[in-house]
Amino acid sequence: MFSLNTRAIYVLASLLALWVIVPIFLIATLAFSDRSSVFAWPKGIFPQHFSLQTIGFFFGVEGVGRAIRNSLVVASLTLLFSVLLGAPAGYALARYRFAGADVYRVLILMTRAFPLAILAIPLAVQFIHLGLYDTPLGVALVHTALALPFAVLVTSSLFLGIPKELEEVAWTLGCNRVQAFVKVVLPLALPGLAATAIFAFVISWNEVFAATLLTLRERTLPAFLLGALNDSPLPFRFAGGFLLIVPALIFIFSVRRYLFTLWGIANR
Amino acid sequence: MSGIRVENIEKLFGKAKVLTGVSLEIRDQEFVVLLGPSGCGKTTLLRIIAGLEYADKGQVWIGDREVSTLPPRSRKIAMVFQNYAIFPHLTVLENIAFGLRMQKASAERVKAQVDRAATLMHIENLLQRYPAQLSGGQRQRVAVGRALAVEPEVLLMDEPLSNLDALLRLEMRAELKRLLAESRTTTLYVTHDQVEAMSLADRIAVMNVGQLVQYDEPIRVYQEPTNTFVGGFIGSPPMNFLRLRVEGGQARIESLMLSLPTSPPGQEVLLGVRPEDLEAYSQQQPQSFPAEVRVVEPLGPHLLLTLTYEQQSLKATVPPDFNISPGQTLWLKPQPGRLCWLDPTSGQALSR
Ligand SMILES: Nc1ncnc2c1ncn2[C@@H]1O[C@H](COP(=O)(O)OP(=O)(O)OP(=O)(O)O)[C@@H](O)[C@H]1O
Ligand SMILES: [Mg+2]
Repeated sequence: MFSLNTRAIYVLASLLALWVIVPIFLIATLAFSDRSSVFAWPKGIFPQHFSLQTIGFFFGVEGVGRAIRNSLVVASLTLLFSVLLGAPAGYALARYRFAGADVYRVLILMTRAFPLAILAIPLAVQFIHLGLYDTPLGVALVHTALALPFAVLVTSSLFLGIPKELEEVAWTLGCNRVQAFVKVVLPLALPGLAATAIFAFVISWNEVFAATLLTLRERTLPAFLLGALNDSPLPFRFAGGFLLIVPALIFIFSVRRYLFTLWGIANR
Repeated sequence: MSGIRVENIEKLFGKAKVLTGVSLEIRDQEFVVLLGPSGCGKTTLLRIIAGLEYADKGQVWIGDREVSTLPPRSRKIAMVFQNYAIFPHLTVLENIAFGLRMQKASAERVKAQVDRAATLMHIENLLQRYPAQLSGGQRQRVAVGRALAVEPEVLLMDEPLSNLDALLRLEMRAELKRLLAESRTTTLYVTHDQVEAMSLADRIAVMNVGQLVQYDEPIRVYQEPTNTFVGGFIGSPPMNFLRLRVEGGQARIESLMLSLPTSPPGQEVLLGVRPEDLEAYSQQQPQSFPAEVRVVEPLGPHLLLTLTYEQQSLKATVPPDFNISPGQTLWLKPQPGRLCWLDPTSGQALSR
């Protein structure tokens, strides 16, 4: 028997879930419906006429292809930079006690406390000087700065969960440090590293502020949509919205198992 | 071949001095057991020899090479860790083969060595399993097998049998002893278990709070402890220590006068005697002293008695059919050749 309390919690949880799921559901179904159901009111609960008309229309709009390509490039670069820079830093935090380790840990989080809005103008000016303005690389660098704190903290708790003795045994059995890392630590850390990578990808994919400020023609998808949203028809909005949430959804589903690690609760 | 020599090792963790000048020489092919209470620095010393920890002072030699600054992989050692540290992402087979694969051993050699190690550790039927599917004792055996498979010149083992049940441990102990004698591997073996230490060791190194207190053959460590710590730590029940008066260069218990190897510095002397070296009689005997029985514990092979002599408590063992109950007085006759004499103030043995 459920007590009243448990029941209340379940009701609240269900409401919360609905609040999140209903919009996603509507966007997804309408992105795959025909034109008439997009404009229909009231809308049915279930998709009535499956069709690729809406999505097709969206891809046909000029600039969309380019924006998606830019987004892919920017997000992939962000993923690469975040893992390549974040994992070693996380490893160092996990394995070595060095002066200022705790300060370093806090500093990493502090970077998130800097509002991007303040940084944006100087950043844009600098980027113009450096020739990075309006390039995918420039946006990727800013996105890396956003994703890096997570990458560092998540990988550090990931590496903390892998006992140091495993590496030490490998050393005594003939490995140098790099070999021990590759043969022992990496296989054990791989699922968590993959989760970190996808997380960085999603952060970049959904980021709109920096992408809007730092680009003019080489817009990423969110920046492009933001610019085009007000004067575009409903089908365009639904299809665009759908494309924005897809990576995040894939991410959540693929890393459910590692979410606890991601939240920093290492398994020991 | 390869002996081990450590000289004046000092190790600090932060401000805490964990090893305070340990020197130890292990001859080639010798089996030395490192014995000491928890936290005395056994693991730390082992890790320094393995190169996993650097000493703040002192040197480590393996064979005729000074290895103090070499990384673990260049020291030609294998180590069994106290917490096993077997690779969770590899099967038992690949765990055992790991060191051989690093040496780029041929497929035949890998197979032969893995089979040999697995048979020895009784894990041949577990080779395809992953560590998560093993019990603690099985994991421990994989860890030992992994170290044996590389046929190191020097084997360092940190309580490798601690997690096995009594029977299996007895069996493994005997097999390890046979194998290591056969393969002539120089071995340093850490244990808490003094029976294991006595049974395996060519020599026992007894440690206490970061220092080596005695290093000798098992029987000498047992019979001639250098101080009260060793006598009390080794043997179950531990050695009895009785404080006696010195009269005319001899120690006195009641009417019994015992001669001393050298004259002690003070008016009193400490007699160290093992429980089994006190013969008990219910009637007065020559060369004996009376003690009152307090507790009688039947342990199977013998009865363990707790007695008091002049408010000093002592233990003795008697045959299981010995008819005795608390409150009675027994006459104890110390075996003349088996007595140790120590200085009661410093706790150190009197020089012989
Ligand atoms: N990495 C470390 N940092 C700080 N102190 C440590 C560290 N490793 C060990 N110590 C301390 O050093 C002392 C010796 O530890 P060590 O592990 O060598 O003991 P041990 O003799 O192996 O004990 P046990 O029999 O319980 O395994 C202990 O007091 C321990 O707390
Ligand atoms: Mg230890």
